[in-house]
Amino acid sequence: MARLVFTSMGTVISVLRPGPELPASLERAVREEFTSRDARFSSYRADSELSRVARGDLSSLTAGPEFRATLHRALGWEEATAGAFSVRSPDGILDLAGIVKAEAIEGAGNILKQTGLHDWLLNAGGDVLVGGHNYGAPWKVGIVDPEDRSKVLAGIELLPGQRALATSGVSERGSHIWSASGRTPFSQVSVLAPDIVTADVLATAIMAGGHRTLEAACSRWDIDALCVTVTGELLTTPRLRLQLQVKPTHDGALPTSA
Amino acid sequence: MRTRAVLGGVFSSAAILIGAWSLSGAPKAVHVAAAATTTGTTTPGSGTASSGTSGSAGSGSTGGASPAPSSTASAGKASGTYTGSVVSTQYGNVQVQVTLSQGKITDVTALQLTDREGRSVQISNYAAPILRQEVLTAQSASVDTVSGATYTSEGYLTSLQAALDQAG
Repeated sequence: MARLVFTSMGTVISVLRPGPELPASLERAVREEFTSRDARFSSYRADSELSRVARGDLSSLTAGPEFRATLHRALGWEEATAGAFSVRSPDGILDLAGIVKAEAIEGAGNILKQTGLHDWLLNAGGDVLVGGHNYGAPWKVGIVDPEDRSKVLAGIELLPGQRALATSGVSERGSHIWSASGRTPFSQVSVLAPDIVTADVLATAIMAGGHRTLEAACSRWDIDALCVTVTGELLTTPRLRLQLQVKPTHDGALPTSA
Repeated sequence: MRTRAVLGGVFSSAAILIGAWSLSGAPKAVHVAAAATTTGTTTPGSGTASSGTSGSAGSGSTGGASPAPSSTASAGKASGTYTGSVVSTQYGNVQVQVTLSQGKITDVTALQLTDREGRSVQISNYAAPILRQEVLTAQSASVDTVSGATYTSEGYLTSLQAALDQAG
């Protein structure tokens, strides 16, 4: 298994490929998806386009096309989630971190696909997008137990049609999740979706919006969710429940005794 | 009888689906869940299944669980799309379709849901409680990567993902 690990956006990105190392040019292109967006959207860099817009030094209307495209997309999600996903922090500062990392994963995934690579896995700070298989087997992602981050709560196979898995929680950075009430019923929300932006945005939105957003999101989008409540209970959607509960035998068949 | 066991599992699962639906506020779906479970004892293709108990004002059901023409049941492992009975209850009709591939469930879809007046209604993809011990199994024993709330580059060093990257 070839593995590329690098730092960007304040976190660590891992790229897995069953087979030989990625070509150096491809590694550079994948890194560039993250570093270019970090330079443009980081709220930690005073000279980033985002910081200049947030300060009022630059109008969002005259910002670059990449900036406006991401802002537009984020605003669309804000509207679609009735504000549960927001482009602003509680104190009203523009913050697009909630979507920028997902767009970088999406961009890196597109590069890998365009290069003709079938089998790969991208993990950026705990958000995962895959292509193809791991030596013929489905890619399998462990969900961290928020009560003991050295343990895995469940293993989820990323099957065709649901290639992205994002988890939102009380993050180490602490600034990604906010809710109008200041309280959230969940300590962690994982969302399985066809694409990583949907997964990431809706995990953030459900974390912030609680049960109402969970139900609305699961009805409207083709997603599955695994939520951990602050009291440690688990909630899951019907399709994911089937995957988690059905225990296949070694040959993949259902057990003969029901 | 392998297929029968498989279908039993399938429809127990379907009952779970509908059971979950009942939690979303849809009225009295308990009747429906019971009916689906009963259908689970049917052999595919027999077409003679009783649909079990339906609601008090229900008009009964049409057809048993039957595989779609594309299905195969070779080597004892069912593949294909299986459609459950239409179960009429006093609250409307419910029908569930399950897709199997070599005995593994790959999809469960609610095909038909109508309210009492015959209008179709949307099933809610509602998240319902699941017990930790139900998911803490061999399923999570070996994973390729780890998903969790965003770790910082410093926090990465103590994360499970770092351990996996090291082991890789």
